Amino acid sequence: MPETIIQVRDLVKQYDDNTAVNSISFDVNEGEVFAFLGPNGAGKTTTVEIIETIRTATSGDIQILGMDVNKNRTEILKRIGVMPQDFSSFDRLTVWETVQYYARLFGSDVDIDGLLKLVNLQEERDKHYVTLSGGLKQRVGIAVALVNDPEIVFLDEPTTGLDPRARRDVWEVVKDLKKRGKTIFLTTHYMEEAEVLADDVAIISKGDIIAHGSVDGLIDQFCSTIHVAIKGAGPGVKEIADEMSLVSESLGNGNVQIEADNNEQVVEILNSLKNKNIGYGSVDIRKANLEEVFLKLTGESLIDKGDPK
Amino acid sequence: MNFKLVYASLSITLKEFYRSKASMFFVLLFPIILMLLFGLIFQDQGETVYDLHVRDLDGGVNSQNITEMLGNTEIFNIVEVGDEVGDIEDAKDYLTEHKLNAMLVIPEGYSDGFDAIMIDRFLGIPTNDTVDVVMIYDPANTAAMTKISILNSILDGVNKAATGMPDVLVLEMETTVSDDFDYIDFFAPGIIAMSVMTTALFGTVTINTELRQKGILRKLATTPLSRSEWLLANILYQLCMAILSTISIILIGVGLFDLNPHLNLFLPLFVILNVFAFSGIGMLITRFVKEAESAHAAANAIMFPMMFLSGTFFPLEGMPDFLQTFAKVLPLYYVNEGLRAAMITLDEGTLMTSTVVLIILAIVIFILGVLLTSWKHD
Repeated sequence: MPETIIQVRDLVKQYDDNTAVNSISFDVNEGEVFAFLGPNGAGKTTTVEIIETIRTATSGDIQILGMDVNKNRTEILKRIGVMPQDFSSFDRLTVWETVQYYARLFGSDVDIDGLLKLVNLQEERDKHYVTLSGGLKQRVGIAVALVNDPEIVFLDEPTTGLDPRARRDVWEVVKDLKKRGKTIFLTTHYMEEAEVLADDVAIISKGDIIAHGSVDGLIDQFCSTIHVAIKGAGPGVKEIADEMSLVSESLGNGNVQIEADNNEQVVEILNSLKNKNIGYGSVDIRKANLEEVFLKLTGESLIDKGDPK
Repeated sequence: MNFKLVYASLSITLKEFYRSKASMFFVLLFPIILMLLFGLIFQDQGETVYDLHVRDLDGGVNSQNITEMLGNTEIFNIVEVGDEVGDIEDAKDYLTEHKLNAMLVIPEGYSDGFDAIMIDRFLGIPTNDTVDVVMIYDPANTAAMTKISILNSILDGVNKAATGMPDVLVLEMETTVSDDFDYIDFFAPGIIAMSVMTTALFGTVTINTELRQKGILRKLATTPLSRSEWLLANILYQLCMAILSTISIILIGVGLFDLNPHLNLFLPLFVILNVFAFSGIGMLITRFVKEAESAHAAANAIMFPMMFLSGTFFPLEGMPDFLQTFAKVLPLYYVNEGLRAAMITLDEGTLMTSTVVLIILAIVIFILGVLLTSWKHD
């Protein structure tokens, strides 16, 4: 049984006239990548900053590394690493100087060049922060979050605003950190990011955790639909769906997508194609993703609301 | 308070400053421009010579004497006006036409009249006769007023001399400081006080609102760096800026305008206290006013009254009483007074008052800064 490293109970954050976080509870286990998934304004950053001790909860019991966030701030800060949302740093310090500065704040004699290698920034070592691209800046943020060799690393929206390539680079760094045994608390509004990285996902919407589990578990629980897209097929396909009472959708160009409820139905669809001798170009079988889970749970799209400014 | 963290924070802010041509330019240039500007404006203060246009309609010995005498005072540079002015009305037109502010007209018959009175006096015949000279002036012009009052006092002297009575009361004028000091010496301490205040106040506000907007303050909040360590590092950084601008002001003053200040430990002391007080105020502003623009507006709201009401540009004596009283609650007033005392007058009472007031203020503001500002947000 894995150790619980963060324990949140009945966390409430109330602002004057709105409730940002509405009595949420969850655990994060040691060594896992925990993803807090939700659109902007859902309460992700508020929650994570309360756990990081830089914001105060209205009520609730929050333990991190066995310590109460309200009582052991200094000790907690020494043992966690934080990359805040929209991380930025001093424009005219070099990458090396930036990491060195934060290392000095923690009184840490970490091997800075080793750290830069870990986040793949060796070549940018002597470049001024302001000259770096967005993806490189984010990696500086991750390096800075690691100067004190923390047990838990908080990454608040680490890939927001990055292009797909830079995003994948950051993901590689996160995977590497996980291999090194760090617990990673990730907030994101990209369901793909959660799918790729997270062992455990909590979906948050309007201050409430509406679902919590592994990626597969959540999909199985809330959106077990399997999309079977049959491309370049004849008119018989739609009839197969109708016979099985499944929803089908014409995608144009003779492409039809059938929504199967389980694996058996998928096999049945494929068998019917063969038995009825219906010719087709290709078949694409895809499970639902977290986006569809979110859509199903909230009736709202994650992406539209979550896109960066 | 961990001084290693203060030092680390100070050194990165200094590094950033050194690498930014723009901020270097402004920290050094602003005081230099002020100094050049005011240095040039007030360069000749104290040795001012006024042009005085004189039309001598009389042309006699006595009228020539008085013209000559006015010229000899070295206050007036006499410009004789010729035949184109034939009477008072001509003189008025002449003034308007040539955009002059005043002209002294000596009417015809002046010499004869003067002689007649002197002869009566000499013979002991009592007389109430006078001779007139006419000053034509533009009442809206302050320089004309100055000329009139100078002229009045000169003529007053002439009258007394003419009565043959010795003066009973003589006013001798001497400045409160030794003769080596010029107006620039009075002005330079004010410029130092003001530049240091502006740099400290705006520097702190700018750095902190910028770092807040970029989220760097939020990142710093997740490190062991405490708010008071950051505050102190900021103040020390502003102190470095203050030292740079003070040195450049003194160098410009000494090099170009014969500035001749006393240099003693009170100068750095007041600069340090100035920085502490105003960086602290800057920190408090950024604590309560989060947006960059409003924070700058707040800093301006604090700075401008100080600039004009604490005796930097204008002497306080000319102001209404309530403003003078108000000036005495402004921190910059004590910096101004203190720096003038330190660099020029060496007045011990002022030095002590300013030192005590500013030390108390700096401590109070620093403590408020530490108590009221916190990394945590709501």
